[in-house]
Amino acid sequence: MKKKNSMSRALVMRETVAGYAFMLPSLVFFIGFVIYPMIQCIITSFFDSTMNRDDIFIGFQNYIEMFHDSVFLGALKNTFIIVVVSVPIVCIFSLWAATVIYDLKGPVCSIFRCIFYLPVVTGSVAVTVVWKWMFNNYYGIFNYVGTHTGILNQNINWLGDERFALGCVILILLTTSVGQPIVLYVSALSNVDQSLVEAAEVDGATRFQCFWKIKWAQIMPTTLYILIITMINSFQCFALIQLLTSGGPNHSTDTIMYYIYYNAFKLYRYGYGNAMGVVLAVIIAVLSAVQFKLAKTD
Amino acid sequence: MQKRKWLALTLSLAMAFTAAGCGNSGGTTDTPAKDDGGGSVSADTEKGQSEVSEPSGGNGEATEITLWTYPIGKWGDAATVDGLIASFNEAHPEISVTVEYLDYTNGDDQVNTAIEGGQAPDVIMEGPERLVANWGARGVMVDLSDLWTDDAKAAIYDSVENACQNAEGVFYEYPLCMTTHTMAVNREMFEAADALQYLDEEKGTWTTEGFVNAVKALYDSGQTNVAAVYCGGQGGDQGTRALINNLYGGTFTNPEHTEYTANSPENVKALELLKDMDGINFDASIQGGDEIQLFCNGTLAMAFCWNVAQEANNAESINFDVIPMAFPTESGEPKLCGGIWGFGVFDNGDEAKIAAAKTFIDFMANDETQVVESVKASTYWPVKDLGNIYEGNDLMGEYAKFIPFMGDYYQVVSGWAEARTAWWNMLQQIGTGAEPATAAEEFVTTANQAASGS
Repeated sequence: MKKKNSMSRALVMRETVAGYAFMLPSLVFFIGFVIYPMIQCIITSFFDSTMNRDDIFIGFQNYIEMFHDSVFLGALKNTFIIVVVSVPIVCIFSLWAATVIYDLKGPVCSIFRCIFYLPVVTGSVAVTVVWKWMFNNYYGIFNYVGTHTGILNQNINWLGDERFALGCVILILLTTSVGQPIVLYVSALSNVDQSLVEAAEVDGATRFQCFWKIKWAQIMPTTLYILIITMINSFQCFALIQLLTSGGPNHSTDTIMYYIYYNAFKLYRYGYGNAMGVVLAVIIAVLSAVQFKLAKTD
Repeated sequence: MQKRKWLALTLSLAMAFTAAGCGNSGGTTDTPAKDDGGGSVSADTEKGQSEVSEPSGGNGEATEITLWTYPIGKWGDAATVDGLIASFNEAHPEISVTVEYLDYTNGDDQVNTAIEGGQAPDVIMEGPERLVANWGARGVMVDLSDLWTDDAKAAIYDSVENACQNAEGVFYEYPLCMTTHTMAVNREMFEAADALQYLDEEKGTWTTEGFVNAVKALYDSGQTNVAAVYCGGQGGDQGTRALINNLYGGTFTNPEHTEYTANSPENVKALELLKDMDGINFDASIQGGDEIQLFCNGTLAMAFCWNVAQEANNAESINFDVIPMAFPTESGEPKLCGGIWGFGVFDNGDEAKIAAAKTFIDFMANDETQVVESVKASTYWPVKDLGNIYEGNDLMGEYAKFIPFMGDYYQVVSGWAEARTAWWNMLQQIGTGAEPATAAEEFVTTANQAASGS
């Protein structure tokens, strides 16, 4: 008995060592590029830190300033608008698209997957340049079609008018965000146990009931993952803003990420930028935890 | 099974250490990869005659320096820069130069990241607003006073000399070339609107009244988009500053460059004029580069973001006659925004590299035969009298008439980065209905706070 236990311990030890060894390469990168910068970010947020000067400890001053900074508060509001609008739309649209295409014949399904995934693998600069051209105030296709069909009385300065700019950014974000969720949903729907669906159908369940009671429950982990990555991507919306609007007009498209970049890289206010980064991370963590909790309850 | 596990373990450990090894670049002098894959010229290691210190690597080895350059004319073109460095290596084979090409969209971020990572280039080519007012003020540049000999000071124009030093007289830049930023108009459109009468083509000037009449004539002729006060970002913002400052004789800063003065009555009057003019759009969706494209493709009748390089670079896409003009003034004496470009040296703590960097600058900017080629590569004008280096070049001859109009080089004022952002934000506010006086006041408050460091 004793011999069996010691053999079992050795086996467990060997498996554990092997497991950690396999994790090691990723762990090195994870610690170097995630954990260490996170700790540095938190520490720096308590300092007045700038280029080529010793950091000055200022306690919570950066955090206090942040919540008195109208531009930051505006950026926070814009970021929440982007998240609140884009996350549900991305999830609902990608689920709908996936349900339509997942049981199509192989090549057709693949073509649709490619089409939806194309904006994801296309460089954000290229995507942005094309959209910028389409939104152009003087010769953009939206104004051309709008004025020639009588929908618009005159050209609209889509990106230069604060009433439309944030909406335009969200529209572009949607096109670049739906690709991955669609591919994930197609995959998840393909893995749903068909015998359960068939049994339900035999028992007289409607298509909606089959979807809601069987498929939806089985793709819930995928939904949770999609919700969280879409939310994080929306919170971190930066490249579009930098390439399209620089936060304008009148700060109407400022996001937290862009404001962090502006403070850290343009004004060299590293401490202030890091403090905003910490707040952003906390918001994302809290919302992710809430989503986990809700999904678990369901 | 056992063997397979151990093999997997060994491989994974090897991967981990290899990866860690790849990540460790400490102590090497490699520079980041080039955008275009070209531009690196290395000297052979044959020892040559030079005044620079021995390289830190040991006797007989080439001193390796890195040059990062913004796209200043053809200083952004690898083939041209290769040729310049080949000339340098003929004279100084003991110094090897690696070049990286920056752009104005991400260049500053690349440099800042490199500074923070201890990988700043040895030599950088740009203007005083970056080398003196930004990185110089932050103490990361080398004092180049030894390059500024009495002869150099006597030769280089005073306005340029003043721009290359900080308030304490420390030189962080050694200049190579300069230009004046102008505006431009579309001759065909002006002719069709009978607006050529408002231009003094020979002198390249016009009055504020003439500008107003010309815009009105163009608008009435059906050209609804006469010009754009672009304010989508800081790109090309010298054009909007020069326009507003010149219309009624306002200034952007005080003469000492310690305080922003853009809220003066003259500037507010200019902003009010522009805001009320039909045909002038305060456009928050475009920056200077976009405005140039809109002018070149005939959408706009005027460009405020212009200089000789724009006409040279866009020659193929322009199918009309461009008339370069100074910005309109009441007095008829415009004060144009200048561009000065030259070299700075980052203090990387290696005396041999600093000495080699200075040798490089000295060769490019002072060598009697080389300096002409160095300046010509910029497509601008020298910062000292080198005679007519563009003999027979009609385009350069046409734009040379604007050089005497060069105004105060105020871009070295403190808080410049924040003030630039505040400027286009101010224009956006005015474009969406804010009162010019209020917006200008807010701009000056923000900019002066940045200038005072509070």
